[in-house]
Amino acid sequence: MLWISLHLPCLAIEIQPPDETAPTAVTDGSGARRRVIACNAAARAAGIAAGMDVPAAMMRVPELRLSDRSRSDERRALNAVAGWAHQFTSDVCLDLARWMLWMEVGSSLRYFNGLSTVHGRIREGIAQLGYTALPGVAPTMEAAALLTRHPDLLPVLNKSDLRPTLAPLPLAGLDIPSTAIDQLHTAGLRTVADLLSVPPQSLARRFGEELTQYLQRLLGDRADVRRRHRQPLVYRRRLDVESVESVEGLLFPLRRILQELEGYLRGRDLAIQQLMVTLRHRGEAQTALRLVTSAPERSASRLFALLREKLDRIRLEEAVEAIQLGADEFVEPRILQGDFFDDHQRESESWSALLDKLRARLGADAVRRLGLSDDHRPENAWCVVEEGKAPALEGELPDRPLWFLPEPRPINTLPQLLGTPERIEAGWWAGQDVRRDYYLARTDSGAHWWLFREAGTNRWYLQGLWA
Amino acid sequence: MNPLSESLESLLHRAQHSLWRGGEIARSDARTTGYRTLDERLPGGGWPTGALIEISPQCEGLGELRLTLPALRAWCEEGRNVAFVRPPHIPYAPALVRYGLTLKSLIWVVADLDEDARWAAEQLLREGAAAVLLWSAVREDRALRRLQLAAEAGKSCAFLYRPPALLSQASPAAVRIALSAADAGVCLDLVKVRGGRSGRLTLPLAAPAT
Repeated sequence: MLWISLHLPCLAIEIQPPDETAPTAVTDGSGARRRVIACNAAARAAGIAAGMDVPAAMMRVPELRLSDRSRSDERRALNAVAGWAHQFTSDVCLDLARWMLWMEVGSSLRYFNGLSTVHGRIREGIAQLGYTALPGVAPTMEAAALLTRHPDLLPVLNKSDLRPTLAPLPLAGLDIPSTAIDQLHTAGLRTVADLLSVPPQSLARRFGEELTQYLQRLLGDRADVRRRHRQPLVYRRRLDVESVESVEGLLFPLRRILQELEGYLRGRDLAIQQLMVTLRHRGEAQTALRLVTSAPERSASRLFALLREKLDRIRLEEAVEAIQLGADEFVEPRILQGDFFDDHQRESESWSALLDKLRARLGADAVRRLGLSDDHRPENAWCVVEEGKAPALEGELPDRPLWFLPEPRPINTLPQLLGTPERIEAGWWAGQDVRRDYYLARTDSGAHWWLFREAGTNRWYLQGLWA
Repeated sequence: MNPLSESLESLLHRAQHSLWRGGEIARSDARTTGYRTLDERLPGGGWPTGALIEISPQCEGLGELRLTLPALRAWCEEGRNVAFVRPPHIPYAPALVRYGLTLKSLIWVVADLDEDARWAAEQLLREGAAAVLLWSAVREDRALRRLQLAAEAGKSCAFLYRPPALLSQASPAAVRIALSAADAGVCLDLVKVRGGRSGRLTLPLAAPAT
């Protein structure tokens, strides 16, 4: 087993859209016990730090903007990161209270070409999601978690290296109650080595079994049994935002949740062709956007571009309070073997991505492919075919005009008729009786028209043009 | 002959290999139109690629589409994409097939607004469609320049169908053609041919069978 642990120390602030200028902090508790648990870079630069109580923080930075933490938002965000993390391993655990996430990568190292590659990919991915993360790598979950507090230490790959690496570390980073740490300090214990030198029985007597069991899990002497994070079978993500009134304000959260979706899809080795994006307004009002792609898709950047086109076309009548993403139907991803796919495929991919972009802006029905139908009636001899379906029936055909008028246009003054008429009789079995005599005609200005007369009447119609 | 023009002639004669004369046809990438007499007038011997080509028929049904069909057919055969953007009527599949186009190479873009159609055409041109046929009544020079730039970027042919009234305005298009009927075929008035020869010619377009 080899665990990569990620600590997201700024989760509470980073679930909000970034604001580089105004110092902002998230707090926990109320009244005199209200204290800062996370703050943005502007606040940090002004001297604010997690753990500070609110009066002290306000004294230092009077314009500091405060908001209460939302545990449900934190939970949703961390769960989404866990879903995203499944692209690296099927073994993902999380601890909401500690803003901590673990991925077992020992079994996938070969696939990812070694630790530094997978490490690099995770670091990049987390940055794209917009989170700060401290990584730790060790054979046990708790040791990996402890190493997130010591970024200067190298990853520990073997269980036998755990004890010597952890021994000199101070007690402060251990996952034990701060009151216990204070008591240990009072007893003169400073480091992990000090703690391990105390006989376990006396530690347990004084601080309870939890402490000794924790130390055993830390060193791998006791199994660390936790519930694994599971990939849900349908994808649902809700992200609450603070009354966003412009499309611009939606871009950051959308980019993030689409990245999460990409990670989720990679983890399940699936793709989508349909995505529901719902913008919720105050009350029951909502704006629903349906994204349809012509080919299986999971690239966050392409989905984002499509969504952007759609968003540019709508007017937000009301402020957005929450964004919801939903995908229920999944398809096999296109088979792309790393960098081996050829230019032709790359070209057709960017082409189908372009068609999706056009559809996103102009409507799903705006980009059409033509096909033929086996029907004598001119209005039924053609059809619009679905993307990807090869139009069948390309064979011997009579001469027909290039432009077709779906609604025949009645004409009063008859132009010069040329040649002999073509009788078209069809459709009686479908209840649409058609008996027409079609003529080619030439107008005074030299245009060629396709006309018909309803058999047995004197009514003439224009139905096509030889453009 | 006055002495000045004589010296000019001899100068031109001596420099003929290194000098471009206005009347000569400039080299450029082009795709044969399928009509020899038209190719001879156009720079590079065909529809210039990476350029905007305006076609203004006096009325519909003169052969404005048939004019481009030989080139479109060749692109289809190569598996390249051709797009009809906001055509005035339904491009009729039975006729397109009869004229030799491959339906799976064709895209028909429907748009309510002229602006949307131009946007779509630009995207298609940039993404490397072999040709985009756009029907637009846009007047602004800027919009035309955008199409020209998109065609350049994608090395595509941008055929712009415009009302004939707009021919009196200046345009950045490389080729501008006014179409009118002729007894056998269609009359092309090459109003502007950058790097080629303007003037009139008559083409015998494939006539409808009677």
